[in-house]
Amino acid sequence: MNEMLTQEKSIYLQISEMLENDILRNIILEEERAPSINELVKLYTINPATATKGINILVEQGILYKKRGIGMFVVKGAKGKIMEKRKEEFYDNYIKKLLVEAARLGIGQDELLTMIQKNK
Amino acid sequence: MNNLVCKDIVKKYGKKEVLNNVNLTLEKGKIYGLIGRNGAGKTTLLSIISAQNPATSGTVTLDDQQVWENQKTLDKICFSRELNPVMGNGAAGLKIKEYLKIAAMYFPNWDNEMAINLVKEFELNVKDRIVKLSKGMMSMVTIIVAMASKAEYTFLDEPVSGLDVVMREYFYKLLLAEYTESGRTFVISTHIIEEAADVFEEVIIISDGKILLKENTQELISKAFRVSGKAEDVDAVTLGLRLHQVEITGRGKGVTVILEEGQKIRGGFDVSIQPLNLQNVFLAFCGKGEKG
Repeated sequence: MNEMLTQEKSIYLQISEMLENDILRNIILEEERAPSINELVKLYTINPATATKGINILVEQGILYKKRGIGMFVVKGAKGKIMEKRKEEFYDNYIKKLLVEAARLGIGQDELLTMIQKNK
Repeated sequence: MNNLVCKDIVKKYGKKEVLNNVNLTLEKGKIYGLIGRNGAGKTTLLSIISAQNPATSGTVTLDDQQVWENQKTLDKICFSRELNPVMGNGAAGLKIKEYLKIAAMYFPNWDNEMAINLVKEFELNVKDRIVKLSKGMMSMVTIIVAMASKAEYTFLDEPVSGLDVVMREYFYKLLLAEYTESGRTFVISTHIIEEAADVFEEVIIISDGKILLKENTQELISKAFRVSGKAEDVDAVTLGLRLHQVEITGRGKGVTVILEEGQKIRGGFDVSIQPLNLQNVFLAFCGKGEKG
């Protein structure tokens, strides 16, 4: 949760993505407590309602769950779920853009594949 | 060389040292942003380089000519001070038109047409007394004096304080139009850093009476980053770099780095690297917990 908020998209989306990143990077482990609304408010100087909205996205997706009286926790299997979701988005978020720019530069499919393999 | 040069400026008020050996060269034809925290010495510095306030020691020269008590160089310098309703020099009791009249006598290149035009643009009533003006309106008067002075070197002390967002935008446009047309040199102090960042060619950061840095704004921003991720990964990619604004939450860590010549953030780890804006850079140097 140490990334900076930017102006590029809604704060609550950034909050939920940062939490996902932390889970993917093993900064917050499954079955561990996630930052509370209050902690998020303090860390980012944001309105509590916005922080709540970011957390609720992850609750709806079955990534966080609430332990009454204790706080929000990471669901067992959450990391796998996030990876699945991100994989689905990977084509739209990365591959599509990559192909558009490649076409713009006149990079053919073979050349593109060579580039990708070269980086391994 | 058409430069304004401060050499070893020290300013003490009693025992309190407000400026501590300031060396600064202002090149002709640039817009400088002067930023620093409350009490950092911004206003004192501007008042000394415009010879409105004597330095305890050190010299200010313009084209190698002493500025202090030298009418020839003073004619080229305008420091439009912030107005407030309880000023001791009597300006507060004046009407706007009287204040502008005095300014007109003071600055040999005074552009009266511009002053009249700006009064209209700002929708000010020249018959109002300074003491009765709102904070924003006082800022407008200082802006008018600065612009119409047509002085080669013009200093503005928090010109946008109290101005609404529409007027702030208007001011930046006005400033850029005047700058483009005349090539005058401007030094502008401000606390509203981010919206002015694109206007400043160079930024001067002052902290505890010292010049912390003076650098091209865009170059400065381009080498400042926020690195975050798992603590050991962040440590690995920033090994050997000077860290600012360190923040640790559980296994996570976030740090700000400002890369120096030849330095870089190492690769090979899954960390987020985000570019900073000028305000974040300022916080990295002068934020709470930073020694500067």
